[in-house]
Amino acid sequence: MSLAREVYAELERVVGTRYISDRPWILAAVRAPQPNTPMKPPSPEAVLLPGSAEEIQQIVRICNRHGIRYIATISSLIGFAYPSGPGTIILHLKRMNRLVEVNAQDRYAVIEPGVRQGQLRIELMRHGLSYPVAAVGPGGSVLANFACSSGDSHCQYGASRTNRYLLGIEWVTPEGELLRLGSLASEAGWFNPEGPGPSLRGVIKGFVGQWGGMGVVTRIAIGLDAWRGPAVLPYEGRSPSYQLRLDPRLHQAYVFKFPTLEQCRDAMIAIGEAEIAQAVLKYFNASAALLATESANDFWDLWRSGLFQRELARPLYVYLSAFTPEEFAYEERVLLDIIAQFGGEVVDERILRIYRDNMDFYVLVGALQRVLRLGGGWAPAKLSGDSIGHMIDVGKAVPEFMRPFIEQGRVLDALDNWQVIPLEYGHAAHIELLFLYDRGQANWGQVPMDFMRASMQADIRNGHHGTMPPRTAAAGAAIGALFSNAHVWAGRVKDALDPERVSNPF
Amino acid sequence: MDTLADFRHTMESCNHCGQCKVVLGPKTKGYDFAEICPIHMQFHFDAYSGQGLLHIAQELLDGVFEPEPALRDLVYACTTCGACDTNCKSIRDMEVMDTILALREHLVEGGHGPMPQHAQMAARVERTHNIYGRPHAERAAWAEGASATSAPVAYFAGCAASYQRTDIARNTLRILAAAGIECTVLGADEHCCGGPLWRTGQRAAAERQVRHNLEALERRGVRTIVTSCAECFGTLRGFYPRVAEFPFEVRHISEVVQQALDAGRLKLSRPVEATVTWHDPCQLGRLSEPYVPWNGEIRAFGEHVPPKAFRRGTEGVYDAPRRVLGAIRGVKVVEMVRNEENALCCGGGGGVQQAFPEQARTTAAERVREARSTGADTLASACPFCQDTLEAGLADGGGLRYRDFTELVVSALEP
Amino acid sequence: MRASLTGGYAARGVAYTAHPMGNGGFNNPLEPASACADPALLRAFATDASGASGQVPAQLLYPRSREDVQAIVREAIRTRTPLVPVSSGPPHFHGDTVPARGGVVVDFSRMNRVLRIDRPSRSVRVEPGVTYGALIPQLRAQGLRLSLPLLPRANKSVVASRLEREPVTTPKYQYDELDPLLTLEVVYGTGEDFRTGSACGPGTLETLKADLVNPWGPGSIDYFRLLSAAQGTMGLVSWAVTKLEILPTRQQLLFLHADDPARLLQPIDVLLRRRVPDECVVLNRAALAMLLAADDLRDYAALRAALPAWSALLVVAGYERRAEERVALYADQLRTLAGATGLAATASLPGAVGREAQILELLSGAWTQGPDWRLRLTGSSRELLFTAPLSRMPALQQRLRELAAQQGIDLADAACHLQPAVQGRSCHCEWVFPRSPDDAAAGARLDAFLREAARQLARAGAYFSRPYGEWARIAYDDYPGGVELLRRLKGVFDPHGLFNPGRLCF
Repeated sequence: MSLAREVYAELERVVGTRYISDRPWILAAVRAPQPNTPMKPPSPEAVLLPGSAEEIQQIVRICNRHGIRYIATISSLIGFAYPSGPGTIILHLKRMNRLVEVNAQDRYAVIEPGVRQGQLRIELMRHGLSYPVAAVGPGGSVLANFACSSGDSHCQYGASRTNRYLLGIEWVTPEGELLRLGSLASEAGWFNPEGPGPSLRGVIKGFVGQWGGMGVVTRIAIGLDAWRGPAVLPYEGRSPSYQLRLDPRLHQAYVFKFPTLEQCRDAMIAIGEAEIAQAVLKYFNASAALLATESANDFWDLWRSGLFQRELARPLYVYLSAFTPEEFAYEERVLLDIIAQFGGEVVDERILRIYRDNMDFYVLVGALQRVLRLGGGWAPAKLSGDSIGHMIDVGKAVPEFMRPFIEQGRVLDALDNWQVIPLEYGHAAHIELLFLYDRGQANWGQVPMDFMRASMQADIRNGHHGTMPPRTAAAGAAIGALFSNAHVWAGRVKDALDPERVSNPF
Repeated sequence: MDTLADFRHTMESCNHCGQCKVVLGPKTKGYDFAEICPIHMQFHFDAYSGQGLLHIAQELLDGVFEPEPALRDLVYACTTCGACDTNCKSIRDMEVMDTILALREHLVEGGHGPMPQHAQMAARVERTHNIYGRPHAERAAWAEGASATSAPVAYFAGCAASYQRTDIARNTLRILAAAGIECTVLGADEHCCGGPLWRTGQRAAAERQVRHNLEALERRGVRTIVTSCAECFGTLRGFYPRVAEFPFEVRHISEVVQQALDAGRLKLSRPVEATVTWHDPCQLGRLSEPYVPWNGEIRAFGEHVPPKAFRRGTEGVYDAPRRVLGAIRGVKVVEMVRNEENALCCGGGGGVQQAFPEQARTTAAERVREARSTGADTLASACPFCQDTLEAGLADGGGLRYRDFTELVVSALEP
Repeated sequence: MRASLTGGYAARGVAYTAHPMGNGGFNNPLEPASACADPALLRAFATDASGASGQVPAQLLYPRSREDVQAIVREAIRTRTPLVPVSSGPPHFHGDTVPARGGVVVDFSRMNRVLRIDRPSRSVRVEPGVTYGALIPQLRAQGLRLSLPLLPRANKSVVASRLEREPVTTPKYQYDELDPLLTLEVVYGTGEDFRTGSACGPGTLETLKADLVNPWGPGSIDYFRLLSAAQGTMGLVSWAVTKLEILPTRQQLLFLHADDPARLLQPIDVLLRRRVPDECVVLNRAALAMLLAADDLRDYAALRAALPAWSALLVVAGYERRAEERVALYADQLRTLAGATGLAATASLPGAVGREAQILELLSGAWTQGPDWRLRLTGSSRELLFTAPLSRMPALQQRLRELAAQQGIDLADAACHLQPAVQGRSCHCEWVFPRSPDDAAAGARLDAFLREAARQLARAGAYFSRPYGEWARIAYDDYPGGVELLRRLKGVFDPHGLFNPGRLCF
């Protein structure tokens, strides 16, 4: 269904001729399927580049009047950033890219959607400030990660997930009203996202955001922490081989291994109780090998050596980063006490060197996209959060359902390619399982669906909160009752706030 | 393996991570100067980016739409600066730049490209062996009888230095002489390197120049080619091995000077008072690594069999010009944020200066803004085409002037 | 367009009945012992310590389970009877437990089971009737503690306190305004039950093995935020999970004092950025005197005269590993950082020398010296609560003082508690004004002063995020877009408008 010419003309009058197009080559750039699925997303009808919240309001009102679906996006890095159905226009918010304010005193920054992770992270360091930078690479939109998507970071153990740092919000509602949430609603500034009273921010983002399904967030404030590192990062090297070494009196990376996952888990919990360290996590081992290598061939050499499988099956990554040498020394003493108590050992020196020579893993994760290197077939499963103990239990149950896929040659043999990242000094943790599959195999597109179904069935069987409730109507009808009928409530909220169902409905 | 269909693996592998549009993480210095793709910065649509051009190439190949002039204009708006390619290769094993070049070739072969200005340039090269249409007999007039004998080292001047910026050519010979390096000037044996033809998708025409030049170099007993033009440098290293066997060593004048300085064969004894910021030309920097032919197979999970030597921009000529300039008394070298493998294109590459001069000027203005932010009074580089574009960007004044590398070095030599 | 606070709102497709008047005939669906018809007790609900007045409820019901709550809701739906939830014992200070439109009070005090204390996940699950007085000693016995508001009354419901977004005295543990509230179970106004966050499933509470500590979601909506500061208007909570912390084995109390709160907030900002103190509380002399005075208040006046105008109470702690090292490290940091701002941290407080143990004891528990410390002086008080960034608090304090001077309000006995929150990115302010119950004219003057003060402070950047009573007008009068959306959400979760009608903007 193409946009009627008069509707196109109405939209063109809002953004200007230069910033709207429905030419096929413009659309080609945004409608290619992600490499991990053969399913082509619906082609958008047009791409628009609005320059302000007011323009977005006008566009959304036009969409409501004419029943045109819309989705706002920046990079479209994930599958949910695509139109959910035909007849959708894409609002690319890249022109709205201002770093509106950095308030170092009250510790927040106000950003528009087009501000990218790399530029904001580095800019804020110059002010001695930090925020949870998502492991998505420097090109990811910060606002999208905070308000529309997920938001886990390698250093969230000592901080938290983006959920905690999302402050005041400016939002074009699904019907085109411009609403300010939290303290902004009372013209008291950006600092408080809640209320007044019940917090409307609750419909913007839950465990994950609405992925374009609840209007358009046009500006947010994010809370900032003090940054323990230098104002300017001393990167050395040249693409693709960079090193980042920080002052070892204040910053150090450690990688330990444990005989059992239980011991690893208990060490993780104990470190949290002691309130030391800035990063503590069990990381993916195949992804670690991908991050550590500069080509697929290099990865295969490393992977076939078995080093990462041996050493990083039950790992504990730790990053100490302190304000003073005394604090660092104290934390290191406590850390080593705990590691010794729970039977941990330092991993192979070759692996340790990787993280000590390049602390980028904890600072920017600038080369994160390497995890996508093996040709495109990858998918995350088990995206959820609960206690450290429960997340480790979910991880322990992975081999049971994953092994058949490996034996059939459908996915890479990487049973330990899952991560658990605690947050808030161990109060909770996030889990993610990455499975890799080759696009060259027959019926490769069936692999992610079969795998995720098997994963979900394992969660249900084991009573594990390993993933989010189903999002699609069909899946909701099938198993939504197992998740407190969350899909029903989400649908009711959607109907209440987007009655015309034009905000990228599912 | 250079036809468009050969790059399906690349086209199908893009995850939209956005790295083709933004400076690499370790190279980012803050909020400003964080974008790297000149066309994405101006036009904002994803189509104007490495990502976009990959997907356009795929849909064209699949016959989803037919080319039109507006599509051609988009494809030729790309400056072929390679930032998307280098940035993507920082994290992936994809050939973004080669896909874009193959896309241009695909359009030309189908009669849908290049831009009229590029076709006219090709006609000029066909006629006169230079991009300007000037008489071939005048190509070596700048040399004023300099050595045209056989020698293992040959100076490849290139069209720009031969006809428009003859000072660059004369400076280069002066430098080589000062370093005690005997070289020959190819003179009438030298045709256009073919780079401007290659980068505008006119591959057959480019190859004709290549074959001619290769024959001349062989006949003249050349072993080492020295050039002071980044475009020629990048073409000799990056294109010639795709056409035929390429047994020559290619050196940039900055590398030659650095080596001579280190060996004590050259002295830069005259001071030059200048605060210089160095603009890395794309063809001297990230796109200058030697091309190694590969005709293998991409197997499961991206494994290349046999292993492929990817040109990731690591070994571009970044250090030599800086060290040389830094060795000149009185010169202070200051860095732009976007430098070395993440230098921002001048805006004029890939035929954009000819086809879309306004667009080129906009990019150049951004580069000049960045250069001014360093506090430098001199913007230096080693590409006459960058010089054309950047000088247009400097035309509004503001206390910054452009100087070619060879000019600065000669200024530091004893008269 | 000003929002109407008295009318209902029917959005397209969604409606709630604004003011159910009850058609009589509400039959107690529970066993007879679960109902109370004592007229005196019922009359007591028609007013509270805030001076709010409303209607005498028809019945008082004491559910013992979620099923009981659902039965009550179903009966209320059938008879269109308002329901007003109460979890804490009296005195109530906010007016939110006073039925504005009559109906039935649902008193959760008999749902008082501590369902699970779990150290590895540092969490406790409690029913709404569990009070601070009951829970704190149970936790202490297991080496655990709660983040506490300042001296909550012993019969204060822990769940209600968390739902009300009461600030806690340990800002380093608080990552956003809803922290430390985690998951919960709720009965909505449709009679359906729902579990939030990782408690949603898969499965029932019996089969689900999660520790229920991820508060977000499920999916794209934070349901718990919609219940937060809702004054019971959006759902009836039948249990909640809240965070626990490790009980310190060593503590050192340090003080800063000054004539002007700005002088204290500056070093506190630095200390919180560096995560130095556990408890961090700022009190004016009247507040501290009120807390420290003997039972008969004979020493109140002397204390008030001797204490500094403003005092910061700061505790550094050691837990179970290298506790003394930790205390020494952070005490040293506290002294150094405070000293750099020109303030000396001291081990005792002028005017309260020798009372250090008493202060530590007060900071670690509930108020047990009477109904509530706020009523100590005269048996009656009024309060003013708002939030603002730390940097704005001094100006707001100044504005209040100026207005008091203009209106002849004596602030000598007005207690002020400034509570840095969310790791220092926010601050709560609570003023408690003792009120003479026998002097109606003085009471009226005070009430008029507080109304004007709230208005002026709101204009100066104070944020009334918990809009009790008349503060709802400040919050909602000029927020028509937000009011509309809140009412639509009310239409989803309480479509019959049964839950505490007349509160907020409902």
